[in-house]
Amino acid sequence: MSSPAIVAKDITVRFRPMVDRNPTLRRSIGRMRHRETQELVALDGVDLTINKGEAFGIIGRNGAGKSTFLRVMARTLKPDEGSVNVYGKTSTLLQLGVGFNVQLSGRRNILLGGLAAGLRKSEIDEKYDSIVEYAGLEYAIDRPVRTYSSGMFSRLAFAVGMALEPNILLLDEVLAVGDESFRNKSMDTMRELLAKAGTIVFVSHALPNVAEFCDRVMWLEAGKVRMIGEASAVVEAYQTAVQEAR
Amino acid sequence: MFSAVRTYVSDLWARREFAWYLAMGNLKARNASTSFGLLWWVINPLLLGSVYWVVFGILFDRGTLELTRGGEFYELSFLAYLLSGMFPFFFTQSAMTGGVNSIVSNTKLLANLHFPRLILPIAALVESSVGFVTSMGVFFLIVGPINGIWPGPWTLWLFPVMLIHLLFNFGLSTIVARVAVPFRDLNNLVPYFTRLWLYMSPVIYEASFLEGKGELVERMFRLNPLFPILELYRHALTGVDIDLASSLLAATGWAVVLSTLGVAWFVKYEGKMARYL
Ligand SMILES: Nc1ncnc2c1ncn2[C@@H]1O[C@H](COP(=O)(O)OP(=O)(O)OP(=O)(O)O)[C@@H](O)[C@H]1O
Ligand SMILES: [Mg+2]
Repeated sequence: MSSPAIVAKDITVRFRPMVDRNPTLRRSIGRMRHRETQELVALDGVDLTINKGEAFGIIGRNGAGKSTFLRVMARTLKPDEGSVNVYGKTSTLLQLGVGFNVQLSGRRNILLGGLAAGLRKSEIDEKYDSIVEYAGLEYAIDRPVRTYSSGMFSRLAFAVGMALEPNILLLDEVLAVGDESFRNKSMDTMRELLAKAGTIVFVSHALPNVAEFCDRVMWLEAGKVRMIGEASAVVEAYQTAVQEAR
Repeated sequence: MFSAVRTYVSDLWARREFAWYLAMGNLKARNASTSFGLLWWVINPLLLGSVYWVVFGILFDRGTLELTRGGEFYELSFLAYLLSGMFPFFFTQSAMTGGVNSIVSNTKLLANLHFPRLILPIAALVESSVGFVTSMGVFFLIVGPINGIWPGPWTLWLFPVMLIHLLFNFGLSTIVARVAVPFRDLNNLVPYFTRLWLYMSPVIYEASFLEGKGELVERMFRLNPLFPILELYRHALTGVDIDLASSLLAATGWAVVLSTLGVAWFVKYEGKMARYL
């Protein structure tokens, strides 16, 4: 079979958020001595291998740990236990417009977002025209980004993210705001990426899209793997469970 | 250990353009919606200088300081004395303010991308350095016509002194950046701390003001790392005589120690920062 793109072994992430039940002066002072925390297990021993050329979906209820898992793969969050190995150039679209400064023009933000993602200035200059063309924003590129509609913003951000020419793409529910034509365009781009043995990890609540687009799907529940396997089977099982819970 | 340092430094170096354009973007955005735009970098120190000129030059009429320059008696106007300390002090102050916010105001970058976090305080320092360098030009723009103080051969000292000061501010800003991540309250404390630091530094009074205040007080004030740094600026900007060797030694010592400790402490903590977003 094909070689792995991401190998996650026994990932456990615990958060210790501060609990502020009823902030009073006395509690605030007490908090300085022993911080009132409540341990929260966001991921609990997740074991997973994602292969090259695979479109992998992650589904689950709000707070199940999907975004946390993507952050571990993006290496911005170090797990408390376990290890993750990522083989390839990763483009992370956990949020759109990372590194952007909305006061500045689209032109300037292509540079800022590209540099933040890890490109060099010379590479960005070279790719600039194709980024603008891909985003379809020639008419607005010198306007401050704060004047963009949310769809325009996500077009620009996605175009910058793809300019990295990643082998691995981590997506967290970010393509929901584009219009029909841009959604088709981005889907085409992602299929191209897969055809070139790229890997896509895709978190979404749009279940039909997940079932259609992904090869395999993982269903997370309260930080644990509830089910992992062929896309439509997992999505169906998840939908059944949600129906029953009502 | 050694190879880890090398990897980190080369990662940092590979991202130098990111740091630079991040700083430039923030500079541009800061005044993007104002009418004067980038001119504010000159207007700010000019206004600052004018305010102190009104207070000390006109209201208090502090007159002149009797010092020596090149071994000869020299009368330095109080305005020149004040501004030659005030502008460098504000560099340290803005480096601290920028450092405090450098991590906590960039949570989106931190949550999404993997890069050496030291980039962020460095970018913030680049930002405040631009303001400081312009203020050095503004210094001569003010005291030149008013007091007849122009650059001389001693002004060459400005370059090494600014480098030492930059290193000192770098250390300081990495420390406050690191502390502010778990301890957001720092943001509220910095203005009071810098105010106190200003009054404890020889900016609005001369070093001789401390004489007779008791040996302990005097020794404490001289422990202030800005003491030798401001002395060096006085020499570089106005040419008045100072104890160059001991000031250089003390300032360099502070800068090296603070930046080494600050960076090591910051980098060691990097992995945990994402937990506090
Ligand atoms: N920085 C943080 N500090 C404390 N707790 C956190 C933090 N980030 C996430 N959590 C907790 O970890 C758990 C998993 O969160 P996560 O964002 O991964 O959920 P999710 O599956 O992406 O949910 P959604 O579908 O709503 O996006 C939640 O209980 C959340 O409250
Ligand atoms: Mg999420």
